[in-house]
Amino acid sequence: MTQHELATRDLTLCHGRATIIDRLALTLPAGEVTAIVGPNGCGKSTLLAGLSRLHAPKQGTVLLDGRDIQQLPARELARRLALLPQEAIAPEGLTVAELVRFGRQPHQGWLRQWSAEDQQVVRQALAAADVSELAGRPLDTLSGGQRQRAWIAMTIAQQTPLLLLDEPTSALDLGHQIEVFELVRRLAADGRTVVMVLHDLASACRYADHLLALRSGQLIAAGPPGEVVTTELVRRLYGIDCTLIPDPATGSLLLANVRRAGRCGDA
Amino acid sequence: MWREVSAESQARQRPGTERCERGAGDIVAPPGHWRLAWQAAGGSLPYSLLIDRRAFVAALILLLALLTASLAYLAMGSSPLPPQAVPAALVGRGDMMAVFLVQELRLPRLAAACLTGAAFGVAGCLMQTLARNRLATPGIIGIDNGATAFAVASVIGLGVSLAPPAMALAGATTAAALTFGLAAGGGVRGYRFIVAGIGVGAVFGAITQLLLAKVHIDTANAAYPWTVGSLNARPAGAVMLLAVGLSLGLGAALWLTRALSLMRFSDAVASGLGLRVARRRWQVLAVSVLLTGLAVAVAGPVGLIGLIGPEIARSLSSPRGVPVVASALAGALVMVLADLAGRILLSPIEIPVGIVTAVVGGPWLLWILLRPASRNLA
Amino acid sequence: MDAITRSGAASARRLTLRLAGLMLLLVMACLASLMLGAGDVGPVRALAVLAGQGDAEARFVLGSLRLPRTLIGLVVGLSLGVAGALLQAVTRNPLAEPGLLGVSAGAAFAVALALLLGATATTLRVGVAQLGAMVGCLCVLGVARFSGAGNDPVRLVLAGAALTGLLLSLTSLLLLFDQRAADEIRFWIVGSLAGRRLEHLVAILPSLLLAGGLVIAVARPLAALALGERVASGLGHRPGLIRLLVIVVVALLVGAATATAGPIAFIGLVVPFAARALAGPDIRRTLWFCLPLGPLMVITADIVSRLLVAPSEMPLGVITALCGAPVLVAVVRARRMPSL
Repeated sequence: MTQHELATRDLTLCHGRATIIDRLALTLPAGEVTAIVGPNGCGKSTLLAGLSRLHAPKQGTVLLDGRDIQQLPARELARRLALLPQEAIAPEGLTVAELVRFGRQPHQGWLRQWSAEDQQVVRQALAAADVSELAGRPLDTLSGGQRQRAWIAMTIAQQTPLLLLDEPTSALDLGHQIEVFELVRRLAADGRTVVMVLHDLASACRYADHLLALRSGQLIAAGPPGEVVTTELVRRLYGIDCTLIPDPATGSLLLANVRRAGRCGDA
Repeated sequence: MWREVSAESQARQRPGTERCERGAGDIVAPPGHWRLAWQAAGGSLPYSLLIDRRAFVAALILLLALLTASLAYLAMGSSPLPPQAVPAALVGRGDMMAVFLVQELRLPRLAAACLTGAAFGVAGCLMQTLARNRLATPGIIGIDNGATAFAVASVIGLGVSLAPPAMALAGATTAAALTFGLAAGGGVRGYRFIVAGIGVGAVFGAITQLLLAKVHIDTANAAYPWTVGSLNARPAGAVMLLAVGLSLGLGAALWLTRALSLMRFSDAVASGLGLRVARRRWQVLAVSVLLTGLAVAVAGPVGLIGLIGPEIARSLSSPRGVPVVASALAGALVMVLADLAGRILLSPIEIPVGIVTAVVGGPWLLWILLRPASRNLA
Repeated sequence: MDAITRSGAASARRLTLRLAGLMLLLVMACLASLMLGAGDVGPVRALAVLAGQGDAEARFVLGSLRLPRTLIGLVVGLSLGVAGALLQAVTRNPLAEPGLLGVSAGAAFAVALALLLGATATTLRVGVAQLGAMVGCLCVLGVARFSGAGNDPVRLVLAGAALTGLLLSLTSLLLLFDQRAADEIRFWIVGSLAGRRLEHLVAILPSLLLAGGLVIAVARPLAALALGERVASGLGHRPGLIRLLVIVVVALLVGAATATAGPIAFIGLVVPFAARALAGPDIRRTLWFCLPLGPLMVITADIVSRLLVAPSEMPLGVITALCGAPVLVAVVRARRMPSL
């Protein structure tokens, strides 16, 4: 799969008068999993919405392969960049296979509603997300993890090199979270660029190649988790003190001995 | 950090990197669909259409029911005809009286019933999809009342020279603008939007009353049946205009079907799948308002058709798509049946069709609203 | 004296002042209602009558036309305002309004049915209307409670709107049957104070007195109920009984008002809305403020309806809808629905 690069230049996003993201410049490494972390209200989800053109920038641009995404036709963008929003709502009674077929919409037209390629891609997407057996089940009868994998299957069927996930694991228990994260890793292994907003710093450390730490709309750290995550960063982000220890099995960082910092906020 | 990218996942097929090699011959339509495919002249990718089997059968059933109801409509009335005489009378043969009854009296009214019913049905279906709420029909959110108020102003000659259809369109647009404008803060989804619409509808209802109170009692009485919805007083030319508007609106709705099916997802999902949500929403709203305005100009506010028609269509069709055609047919069917009932039940008194639909549709609305597990479209 | 009681006393004084101001406004509205009208008895001749002189015609217009009308406006406004406040308190829903929830439509339908069956007596009409109001009230609240929609203010209103539409159509259907009933009811069904006589007022007085007594009995437990059902039972009240009593009171009040003036919507929404804004959330204070506010609104609306399209008259319901609907939209638009 060809690699595509998403970057922002001088990006400012506002809700009404409030500035959420302030003149942000960043580049998302192609072919890697990037996690956006930060405290509540730091603008993580707004940034993701800006990257996917849900939220028009007040100022600055989001560049996909050097082109402003505001200039791209909607279908063109949907063929390059797939988005799974946080509270995705599907019509009542839709089955998994029907949902995944919707992922082909950007590739179809009024007179090209079902091609051989569509058929094959849908089948592969179902298999990749491990939901082939659930294909005929209505979405509302699935468990949280299964449902989330079905949604991800829909974005896979979009065949986009870029995949944006907004808190894909927020409502899931631990087992289901792992299901989703392992699926994300497989997608990255297939050459996709994945960007996800995450709540949990430890999961971000374990499953992401690249970390973006946001605080009050500003980027305060960017890079591989092993390099950028320090006790200092954790204190600046969340206002907590902790000890960072490597996971004996994988080497990724774990937060231990977590407690409120002596002083909240800036340190 | 992830360091164990397995050989297994490397070995997985990479979607998209491999073109499909199989011919079009072994393409299987998704379950529940027929696939029609033909080769384009230029030798490019073949054209293909998917037809939802259940939606197709539903439309067929509704069409047959509509034809039967129309036959009954032409045959029944204050001077009934035997059903077998109706086709003959339609082509001008047989008893002079029968020909006159069918061609001059009942057929125009039947045409008006079918057209208004279909228009209300499609308008309701579009608005429900737009708001993702099956209660958000033009009748409930005040658009009917707006159109009625403006059209009444025109009918009673309030120094306004515009014809009723134009005024009704202006009224529908005004009411829609008000409702959507007032709901702008909270978005068009959810019940608050609908209550804002009820408020707007109440204002326009009051304005209609105010207008009727200002004019002479005879003029007011003449306009009255029309304010509750009746096919008896059809302004000249309005039916023709509606026919044109309906064919345009239905065409536009069909053209928007794929966008409509995406609109049933939450906005972010729809937009992620390549839908220009805001632009499409305006288009859908415009079509719905146009159809409502033109239909009100003919029959007055028979708004509950916009609720009942799509409701029937949806229960017959599959949950996959947005049943535009079936809603049109079901709306026309309900309108024809309701007007037929209004004509013959209390004969010689004629019950306005708006009252018949309200008596049938009111309990239906209550039932939708108060069903214990009420999950609306979303 | 500590700070709390001092500020409490200050706010009580402010509330009393406001209440007195409203009373003054109401008196002025009543005088205006007596002096203004469609006929050629102008303010000057009316004033002469009030001063104990004046000619026979002016005396007749004031005594037999405008005075009953004003008194009935007073009573109708009182009933609808208080009924609205009670219904909102008991459903804990700022949109619960007798007109919107189908209570008035129930009363109207019952009256139409009674007329069709040959009833003519005024007193009978009041009882029938109250029965209809009771059925309408129980219908909406009962079904809403059963289905869980009662927790959602907005869905309750939709259910009420649906029921209202249904009942109004049924009423129109009934009137198609019977020309006599239609003629008798035509000016009543749109909601108006015109042409009402004092005997109408006398007919509803007993039930209003009964309702008044019940309100006094139920006000305190109702204020406790505002804190939640569990708290109210903990304080020794019986929520089920309170709710039933309130529904009876609402039916008595709305039935009486509807039998006299016809179905008038939105008074029960606007008046408690304004009363809450002036008096704060406690239901007892709100009720006090509803007392002058309800009549004030009805009488003002009635004066406007006389003058706006003079020499003909306009239904009162038109005016109340024109000022009520914006309030409805405002309540719905409020980011946080005020919970009661």
